[in-house]
Amino acid sequence: MIKNLLHRFALRDKLLALIVPLLVLTLWQSVLSLHLFSDLILIPPLTLVSTFLELVGSGDLANNILASLQRVMVGFLLGGSLGFIFGVVTGLSPFMNRVLTPLIKALQQVPEFAWMPLIILLFGIDELAKVVFVSIGAFYPMLFNTYLGVSGVPKKYQELAWVFDYRRFRYLTKVIIPSALPSIITGIRLSLGLSWMFVVGAELFGADSGLGYMMTWGRQLFQIDIVMVGLIVIGAIGFAMNSLLLIIEKRLLSWRVSFDGRTL
Amino acid sequence: MKNMLITRKTKSRLSSFIFPIVLLLLWQFISSAGYASSAVVPSPKKVLNTFQILFTQQTFFLNITASLERVMIGFLIGSLTGFLFGLLMGLSRTAEIIFAPSFHTVRQVPMIGWIPLIVMWFGMTELPRILIISIAAFYPITLNTFAGVRSVPREYLELASVYGYKRFKLIRRIILPAALPSIITGLTLSLGMSWAILMAAEIFIQTEFGIGTQIQMGRQRFNMPLVVTGILTVGLLGFVMTMMIEKLARIVDRGRAIGNEN
Repeated sequence: MIKNLLHRFALRDKLLALIVPLLVLTLWQSVLSLHLFSDLILIPPLTLVSTFLELVGSGDLANNILASLQRVMVGFLLGGSLGFIFGVVTGLSPFMNRVLTPLIKALQQVPEFAWMPLIILLFGIDELAKVVFVSIGAFYPMLFNTYLGVSGVPKKYQELAWVFDYRRFRYLTKVIIPSALPSIITGIRLSLGLSWMFVVGAELFGADSGLGYMMTWGRQLFQIDIVMVGLIVIGAIGFAMNSLLLIIEKRLLSWRVSFDGRTL
Repeated sequence: MKNMLITRKTKSRLSSFIFPIVLLLLWQFISSAGYASSAVVPSPKKVLNTFQILFTQQTFFLNITASLERVMIGFLIGSLTGFLFGLLMGLSRTAEIIFAPSFHTVRQVPMIGWIPLIVMWFGMTELPRILIISIAAFYPITLNTFAGVRSVPREYLELASVYGYKRFKLIRRIILPAALPSIITGLTLSLGMSWAILMAAEIFIQTEFGIGTQIQMGRQRFNMPLVVTGILTVGLLGFVMTMMIEKLARIVDRGRAIGNEN
């Protein structure tokens, strides 16, 4: 009975959530029929679907998605692993923390996009510059979250590790990393999200493939449908990556519930 | 004892200078030893000289004021609408059910992705630049205002009902003050986002004045010192703005503490 009621409430909530999208669609369609704007500026919603199918059919969309994903992966691995190493080092050693952190904080004051022209001057306009740019985006969240996780390892664990005579490598892999894992995974999720945004930015800057390139191309041809499809696909992929990592986060950390079960 | 504390503090201050100084020496060494052409790696001295020249030029200050103005307008629009939207969703469960799913869906699109679409709609004018900055400012303040309103302790609301506070009085006297720390965090994040996206807005949507314009111009003319000074200027201004808003947050917090005593 109660379950049934809850179910009905959830369904009502879902229906209510559809109000805004439906309203937007109706407004869109009615403005269209009033012919207030040129067809180039405001296209019928259905054109979006047919453009999407066309881009899927020709394989353009898949190729561009693959190109973007490839750049994200390389940049993320590069920046993320550097951020991880720096995070572990600054988290474990107060001295290194004092030496490195002020400089990193100072560099972080510079908006990432301001680096883009410099990166292009240094590395040229091809693949390398894009990967470097993406890795800058991936670096900071990974660094700060790893640092938080590593420096927040409870003293009890350290003492226990001494009792077991864990040293160096073993201490790192058996105590520090598992204990910092939740924070590290959050870092991975955030840093992948930023990588995805920066790859689009890098491609808007000039590329011959990728979703950002597809949007620039659509803009130059004045085909707003291509731009909008690009926008939706970018959003959907970003959403998918984030949700996937959230699921992994939950799976990987399921042991924590029975282990330290929010004793803090 | 006090002496020892001071020396330890100075020591930790000094050690934070080690790495920057090493980098600076390395930079000077690379540029003076000729390992890289001065066009690619300008010497620190050259960068300082460029700063000196820039300070005598009006364009430099026009760039800075244009960027600051842009960010302020965008930030004000975005954070005000975001605050109201977050407040609405926080106060009304119905509003949350209706708007939150759409809001979270749209939020998935990286901000940079909006640029081509907005430019197609509004052209290469000031409007799309400000719009993109407003979008950047909108998300953090919405999320934090919502979270702040929802985390108001239930006892406060019970107390308010005892006093017979309703609607505006309830919002103004109870909910907003309780949600203030979260709202201020949102404002800080929003300002940071605006400043970060400002660069993208100025670089992608060409404009006459702006620090982003200076950096982009430096790239097009292969003028590395111009690029580096632009980057340093942006970083420095961003730093000053963050410091200011953090100071403001502390003042507000202190005000709250004093208010609680009375």
